[in-house]
Amino acid sequence: MSNREIVVQNLVKRYGDFTAVDGVSFHVEAGQIFGFLGPNGAGKSTTVKIMTTLALPSAGEVRVGGYDVVSQAGQVRQIAGVALQEIGLDPLMKATELLIMQGQLFGMSRQQAAARARQLLEIVRLTDAVEKRVGKYSGGMRRRLDLALALVHEPEILFLDEPTTGLDPASRRDIWQEVRRLNREMGMTIFLTTQYLEEADELADQIAIIDRGRIAAAGSPAELKARLSSDAINITFASEAAVEQARAALADMADQVQTDRRVLRLYLNRAAEAVPAVVRRLEQTGLEPQSLTLTQPTLDDVFLAVTGQRFLSEEKAA
Amino acid sequence: MAVTTMTGARPQAEATLTTPRLPLLRQIALLAGRNLMTIFRTPEAILPPVAISVFFLVIYQSTLGGAASFLPGLAGKSYLGFILPLSIISSSLAGAGIAAQNLVRDLSSGYFDKLLLTPVSRAALVLGPILAGAVILGLQASIVITVGLLLGLQPATGLPGLLAVIGLAVLLGTGFAGFTVSAALGSGSAAATQGAGFIFFPLTFLTASFVPLALLSGWLRTAAELNPITYVLEAMRSLMLTGWDGAVLLKGVAATLILATAMYALAGFALRTRTRRK
Repeated sequence: MSNREIVVQNLVKRYGDFTAVDGVSFHVEAGQIFGFLGPNGAGKSTTVKIMTTLALPSAGEVRVGGYDVVSQAGQVRQIAGVALQEIGLDPLMKATELLIMQGQLFGMSRQQAAARARQLLEIVRLTDAVEKRVGKYSGGMRRRLDLALALVHEPEILFLDEPTTGLDPASRRDIWQEVRRLNREMGMTIFLTTQYLEEADELADQIAIIDRGRIAAAGSPAELKARLSSDAINITFASEAAVEQARAALADMADQVQTDRRVLRLYLNRAAEAVPAVVRRLEQTGLEPQSLTLTQPTLDDVFLAVTGQRFLSEEKAA
Repeated sequence: MAVTTMTGARPQAEATLTTPRLPLLRQIALLAGRNLMTIFRTPEAILPPVAISVFFLVIYQSTLGGAASFLPGLAGKSYLGFILPLSIISSSLAGAGIAAQNLVRDLSSGYFDKLLLTPVSRAALVLGPILAGAVILGLQASIVITVGLLLGLQPATGLPGLLAVIGLAVLLGTGFAGFTVSAALGSGSAAATQGAGFIFFPLTFLTASFVPLALLSGWLRTAAELNPITYVLEAMRSLMLTGWDGAVLLKGVAATLILATAMYALAGFALRTRTRRK
């Protein structure tokens, strides 16, 4: 039994002159779902490859389940289940064949592996597709089979590198449901990378945001949102000129003001209580808003605040 | 007492760390079985080399078979028995690429990485496909020989001799597989692997291909004498035409083994480079 924790300390990974991971540290507790969130090229997959023994760190220490990924790679492979971003499946084989072989390679007898394969095919709902070669699978089916392969040896720690990238919303929800079930019922520690804020918000107990190889922010989803102190009042006007006028009139009432075409955003604490004063001020200046809404900070706002760039939203990505 | 406790504690601790692991030979057999399965699912990859070998066998026999008795050294002997080994060798050298083709498929699909994440031995990842390739090499040689028998081949050493010929064919093809596998591991590319296979083409023909070695002269004779395949060819021919000749057979086996050793050293280096964590 491992301790089911992941400890990463000052991890650095250089490729020549390029530093892909630049002093990353975090701690995943046993039984947690940990979301590693960041845009493409931020260093997520590199970190996963190091944690799963496929690549070596340039500096720093990584322990998975208490085992050092450099000197105890064999032990790490025994307790870690891995579904990489690039799904690696032999297109000429069938799901059952792949699962049975995986089980045998992990030391199961053929009978044990066959029983486990049947069980997993049911879990990932591929029982109808067992006669098809994997080359004929859809993207969602390939992801689900890849997940099943990662689970064959009942790992204590599961690594999922962008498990839902490229999936349709229904398949995505299936994977989410399965991830939650594995975590709840088996107590599996799950390390998940994602580009989707919604996914991290939905699944993760703890989140680290990685940007250009560094951890930009870390904490629970609620903590991260709370760190952005303010709620926002969003006021839409008929023209951009009106937005500029309103901005000048209201600037002193908010901690921070942003304009986005015909929308003016005022960031301030306890926005609801400030609404009457804002409306009065607008009436005094003769500006007529088309609509006024209140929003609480989203992880997207957190990301914007810590990295200075807006996150790829799920709709745009899909 | 203290010593007993210490030595007693260690294996226990290790047992919990390295949970059941398949013995190396079982790993190789498992991976080879899987490769054979996928090979039989893509017969288009293995049938053409055999078909070409059989085609040339029939052509050589029909065009040159009658004239061969005029060749010094072949008088009174079967030209079919003389030329059949060339067909077998060319199908062996073509078949030497099978293991590499399978590896390249795994490298490009990413399945190779998936296997690296299991407790499988790195050597088994390569020896599995090579073993599967050896089985196919045996099948290919058997097919060519069967066609020879249908054309009227009467080997001097009978069935045991034919089995020895198949054995040599498998040994040769498996030895050369070390080379194509190195190319596959080094390049990860199907085109480069196929390109590496072409080196065998001159090797097949810079031998005593169509006439006995004694009749060759000049640079071709030198090339043939330096070409290890010549000795495999001579060994096969002796089995077909004259009988059991220990010295000739030994030369054939030795030539193959020397080649195989060099190529497997190369393959081992390529495997270490490919699977070394960077």
